[in-house]
Amino acid sequence: MGLESEVAQLRRGDLDALAAMVSRYQNRLYRYLMRLVRQPADAEDLFQQTWVRVAERIRQYDPQRNFDAWLFSVARNLAIDHLRRVRPDSLDEPASGEIEGETKAARLVSKDRPAIDGILERERAGQVESALEELPVTYREVLTLRFEEEMKLEEIAAVLEIPLSTVKTRLRRSLGRMRMTMRARCPNDDRNANA
Amino acid sequence: MKEHEKLREELSLAAAGALGRDEEQRVLLHAASCEECAAELEEWRSLAGGLRRLPTPQPRGEVVERSIALAAMRFAEESEYRSNRRVMIFLLAFAWVLTLASWPVFRMLSSGVLTWLDPQFNHTWMSFAALTLFLWATGGVAAVLLARQRQSERSMA
Repeated sequence: MGLESEVAQLRRGDLDALAAMVSRYQNRLYRYLMRLVRQPADAEDLFQQTWVRVAERIRQYDPQRNFDAWLFSVARNLAIDHLRRVRPDSLDEPASGEIEGETKAARLVSKDRPAIDGILERERAGQVESALEELPVTYREVLTLRFEEEMKLEEIAAVLEIPLSTVKTRLRRSLGRMRMTMRARCPNDDRNANA
Repeated sequence: MKEHEKLREELSLAAAGALGRDEEQRVLLHAASCEECAAELEEWRSLAGGLRRLPTPQPRGEVVERSIALAAMRFAEESEYRSNRRVMIFLLAFAWVLTLASWPVFRMLSSGVLTWLDPQFNHTWMSFAALTLFLWATGGVAAVLLARQRQSERSMA
């Protein structure tokens, strides 16, 4: 069943379509919320709230709009409200350490690769993830939407409700901050030492 | 030199696939002839690749199931609310129609224009209409108050 027909069925009150939709988006939505709030407990709570909000507002959703952008916008508004309410200073607060509750298995990139490649790849992924976590939420969200959700800039603008030019500016700045952090963390890595 | 600086600023966006086709082409052509920009572009690409390959954290199964259950419950509540609202609107419209229709009905039953012009008769009809409106308005206010109370009970739960 396609996304459009799932949305149409949900608007008509089909609860099977709701389950199918949650299943379709569960990993992407949870990952996005994790990137925003960084704490698994908060992300899980917001994940539930997002689907409750979707149930409340699905009839107000305009089918002409991109559903991904609408869904992520709903999740984002809840996450930003949560951060403002619970940890108002955390919107720009740098964090450190690993993500709690994430299994080691989830960090494995590929079982087919030689062991040393896998270790180096995981190490690199850990560095990138830590550097990402240190960014302010406005930079984290633009990076996760572009590189993990692979959204177009127009879609990102719709989710964040900002002009396209601001998306470009934020993307450029967030990558710049990422590079600085990566260089500071691993100055000997060839991939961070160019230029 | 100015062109070099300008294009260098676009390298990160080129690696992010965030430039238009022409713009990207210009940046890539420049990078092909500029060693410094080529190296920097490679660095941005490596960073972009690292971001794309980040492991995906997954929600626990029970969280997903609970989300579906909660959303389904809210969905049912919303449907019930909408259904109740439709009934309310119908009843209100019916009340107005009934009240207004009572005037020609009274006229018909009283048979005759002279009676219609009788001030005593007008007074009776006005009293009837006012009483009907008062009763419907009281019922409407009670329904709204009950609905609000129920809504606040739901949000508390």
